[in-house]
Amino acid sequence: METLVGQEAINPLLLYLGCGLGAVGVIVAMPRRGLSLALFGLLIGALGVGLLALGLGIHAGGDGLPNPAFYVFGAIALASALRMITHPRPVYAALYFILTVIASSGLYLLLSAEFMAFALIIIYAGAILITYLFVIMLATQTPTEEEGDNLSDYDATAREPAIASAFGFVLVAVLTNMLTLGTPGLPAAVATGDDALIQLPERLQDGFAEAGLLSDGERLVIGETGRVVTNESGAVAVIAEGSERRYIERAEWPADLSPSNVERVGLNLLRDHPMTIEIAGVILLMAMLGATVLARKQVDLEEEAKAHQAKKLAETFEKGTPA
Amino acid sequence: MSDLLVTLGQAGYPEAMPSVTLDHYLVLSALMFGLGLIGFVTRRNLIIMFLCTELMFQAAGLALIAFGRYHLNFDGQTFVIFVLTIAAAEAAMALALVVLLFRRRESLDASAWTELKG
Amino acid sequence: MDALGMITSTLTLAADATSGAAMPWWVIAIPFLPLANAALVGLFAAVGDKTRLPAWTTVISLAASFGLTLLFFLNHYEGSATTVKAFDWISIDWAASVEDGGSGVTALVANFAFYFDGLSLLWMLFVTGLGTLIALYASEYMDHDVGGGYCRFFAAFSIFVFSMSCLVMGDNLLLLFLGWEGVGLCSYLLIGYYYKKKAAVDAGRKAFVVNRIGDLGLLMAMFLTFTTFGTLEYAPLMEMVNANTTASGAVLSESWQVWAIPVLIVAGAFGKSAQLFFYVWLPDAMEGPTPVSALIHAATMVTAGVYLVARMNPLFLQDPNLIGLTVVTWGGTITALWSATIAMAQYDIKRIMGYSTVSQLGYMFAGLGFLTSTGGVFHVLTHAFFKATLFLACGAVMHGFAGQLDMRRLSGLWSIPGFKIVVIAMLIGCLNLAGFPFTAGYFSKDMILAEAFTTPDSVIPYSSVAGWILLVTAGLTAYYTFRVFFRVFVGPKHYEPGEDLHGADPAGFHPHGPRWAIKLVLGVLTLASLGAAGLYLVGDHGWAGDMVHHSTADVGALPWSHAEGAEHSAAYAGPAASSAAESGLLFGQDPHKIMYYVSAVVGAIGIGLAAFFHGPKGLTGLVIGGRTSSDKTRMDGLSRAIRPVSTWAERKWLVDELYQFLIVGPLWLVSNVFAAIDRFIVDGIVDGLGRLPRALGEIIRPAQNGVLHGYALRMLGGLAVVLLIVVVFAL
Repeated sequence: METLVGQEAINPLLLYLGCGLGAVGVIVAMPRRGLSLALFGLLIGALGVGLLALGLGIHAGGDGLPNPAFYVFGAIALASALRMITHPRPVYAALYFILTVIASSGLYLLLSAEFMAFALIIIYAGAILITYLFVIMLATQTPTEEEGDNLSDYDATAREPAIASAFGFVLVAVLTNMLTLGTPGLPAAVATGDDALIQLPERLQDGFAEAGLLSDGERLVIGETGRVVTNESGAVAVIAEGSERRYIERAEWPADLSPSNVERVGLNLLRDHPMTIEIAGVILLMAMLGATVLARKQVDLEEEAKAHQAKKLAETFEKGTPA
Repeated sequence: MSDLLVTLGQAGYPEAMPSVTLDHYLVLSALMFGLGLIGFVTRRNLIIMFLCTELMFQAAGLALIAFGRYHLNFDGQTFVIFVLTIAAAEAAMALALVVLLFRRRESLDASAWTELKG
Repeated sequence: MDALGMITSTLTLAADATSGAAMPWWVIAIPFLPLANAALVGLFAAVGDKTRLPAWTTVISLAASFGLTLLFFLNHYEGSATTVKAFDWISIDWAASVEDGGSGVTALVANFAFYFDGLSLLWMLFVTGLGTLIALYASEYMDHDVGGGYCRFFAAFSIFVFSMSCLVMGDNLLLLFLGWEGVGLCSYLLIGYYYKKKAAVDAGRKAFVVNRIGDLGLLMAMFLTFTTFGTLEYAPLMEMVNANTTASGAVLSESWQVWAIPVLIVAGAFGKSAQLFFYVWLPDAMEGPTPVSALIHAATMVTAGVYLVARMNPLFLQDPNLIGLTVVTWGGTITALWSATIAMAQYDIKRIMGYSTVSQLGYMFAGLGFLTSTGGVFHVLTHAFFKATLFLACGAVMHGFAGQLDMRRLSGLWSIPGFKIVVIAMLIGCLNLAGFPFTAGYFSKDMILAEAFTTPDSVIPYSSVAGWILLVTAGLTAYYTFRVFFRVFVGPKHYEPGEDLHGADPAGFHPHGPRWAIKLVLGVLTLASLGAAGLYLVGDHGWAGDMVHHSTADVGALPWSHAEGAEHSAAYAGPAASSAAESGLLFGQDPHKIMYYVSAVVGAIGIGLAAFFHGPKGLTGLVIGGRTSSDKTRMDGLSRAIRPVSTWAERKWLVDELYQFLIVGPLWLVSNVFAAIDRFIVDGIVDGLGRLPRALGEIIRPAQNGVLHGYALRMLGGLAVVLLIVVVFAL
């Protein structure tokens, strides 16, 4: 595991300079009355982030050019995030956030988390952000004629941007301080995934069948835990109707047989964290109920009206459900 | 056992990415988190404040996935699923609250609610 | 007596059975019966009792206390001191240190224990006896307050008897002090009994404050006693005093404490007994209900000072210069004359009795000072009886005439039906007070007067001058006593009701004579004050003399004394031993013999003058006065002739005004200055200190502005700073 890629430490001065520039950029980009300096702030911020990226590039060292996709996605994510927090109009902010989410899912792809990448786009960009857009539209005052398209005051100005940015980037500088120490690079992945496969007997059977490793009527022997039965050397047991069980050695397995990311995540989720997924379900249910209760219109009934309603309900129940 | 885990974890990854370290992702994550935090503090629109919390969730998710990749297991990705769950629940509740608050004051200004004043 | 005897034997048997020794354990009940009764009366008050039950329980409990005291006196008192311990009270030990001056005192012990010798028994007998009688009297006297302050009165009354018992019977100075403060408290409570009346409240406060000044002296005397002798218990204390030594082994009569402790004790005693500068509270204390005046402010509490000096007599006698006793003598003498002159000019009969009490207390102190503690103590006893009689008679008048006490508005009570017994009691009391021959007051006063002339001037400076002053005072006493009698009780019938009409119409007012309780008590007390004379005739030196002889108050046989046996002369080796046989003479005779005639003549002159100036016209040819109305006498012309003097006397020689000017005024000024300092400087500093956190709070208070962003920003800042610190210091 100790596959250290970048050993030489980044210059702390570069780090702090980058953070400082980033902070200045954010402050400049914050919404304000009058002249909008968002683009200018974006540039300053980009300069700071570029310095950091340069540092990271040096830090990574190694052979050849750094992975360009990472820098592209990272730049998009950061730029849209900056625009999101600085854009005076909530709708635009939400749209920029969608861009951030998409860039993030690209980064997830780079990290071989394909399932999560798409889940992110579907859930965030598709569901949550749309909810946001709905609420933005619901909860915005209809502009009167004389106001025109003017922004409301709380959208047009930021609160204490300088202090907040300063604190925020101090935090960032502290969090990224580990750059000055040097940490290991990402390890190389191993292609084989046999041990995951023995937990997926159908997939293994199909793979073996395609590769012609199984004769007619033969099937894999499945143990009590749902895994394919193996011997000491890791070979899986195969048995035909009424015959002896035989073993297929690992070396004989087809080379392209490996579990997909979805399978791996699904296994991890349902095999290692079954309880948490139940809890998550309960939380979602509660959130749904809570949101319903909170957002419905409050109807204040008089005492008499309440009594009347109760009576009506009781009558309905007595009669039984109408056919 | 650990041997098994190592092989198990490495199974899903096609090849090593030599010039991108864990630090790249962590720095990116920190920057996104910091931006979300700054946005939360500076913006006065309740909806944008909640958007900023979503941005912070994103940053956390990115860090989780990067760590999962670094450790070659899938707990990171599983956790991101829960982060998404919580984000969805939070969005539902928070937006319901925002709607409720907006009905009360006809405003989305967070500064309009100062009843906690000491 | 049979029943009593049976009870006695039973109790004695019980005592034998339980403790194994003939320890009369039941004497513990003497003080605690009244205390229990106070609690009981408090219970009555709590349940809102509207009957006379509190009075009866009080009378019964006090009678029981008196019975037990009598029982002890008759069956267990053998002339020696007995100590009965009730329970441990204060017992503190500490390690000896170098800093204590090597006195070796390492413990303070003060038990709740009772010390029985002649002195405390004599006191207890009349305290509980008079207490019982006066409680009975009060049951009728206070009947206008039944259901109101009745319970309060009897509770305080009972606590008073408890405190007085602790004071008298306590076997150490600390218990004495407990009782001392307890009686002071009860006195305060009872003087201010009519708390809606400003004069009563003021009088209570005055008594309290003046007493506190004296108490400071007593307290300091106690501290000094403890540091000198290392104990506050009488038995070891007296042993050490008689051995003329201190706890550190020094010779007592050569140390400075030998005069300092007595002088401080005298300060306390003068405060409690209203002498010299402290007397001002007692006449004002007459604002209290009359039974209180009779018991507390005439018979018992005010004699506590006399008791204290008598109790500590050995210490006084160890002083080679007798400084303490000289102060006692001259303080008493001057007070006696001073208050007698004031009494002569007053019109309020109860107040006159108050001044006469102060005056008679002066006699008692003078008696102690002239080294006749027998005379002093005997005078305490006789005075207790006849002054209680006088007060209760005044009380009966007050009760019958709706609080009227002004002698100009009362006259000829003899001819008002129902008041005969009051007049007789008053006459007997007045005869006693005036020192009429063969009354108890005559004998006890003579003992003091005779001793004044006997005591050599080298022992007490100018003792014969003091004797002459006291003799003149005796004449004045006779005058002002019978001035009251001749004006109020005989002569033309006239009365005006007082202020306490309780809503009745003044025009249709009819005096009502006392009922059975008051009559009974007056009768008993009249007989007792007459009978007290008999006590002079029993025993070697009179009954009181015998009692004193077996107590710490005993001065032994004086070398110059003619009357007290010469066979004791060797026993007394006191400071005045050098002046043996150097006794004074009066008209060339032994004062002890001639004084009988001299004082009788002086008393007769006083009574005669009173009769001449205030007597009514033509009362059976006996009285030579010319008074025909209640407010016109021959004295009026004379007092007009000496106008400023008589006015000053009536205004009590302006002493209250002088105190107001000399003490209260400057104190008021100083206290206002200090109040200003306190308000503007001390309070300013304190307030400033208070404002500092407030100002600091003002600085950070805006942080709690209730705005979400503010809190979020502060969280962010805090997080950043904490992480920064962690990183900077951890890396």
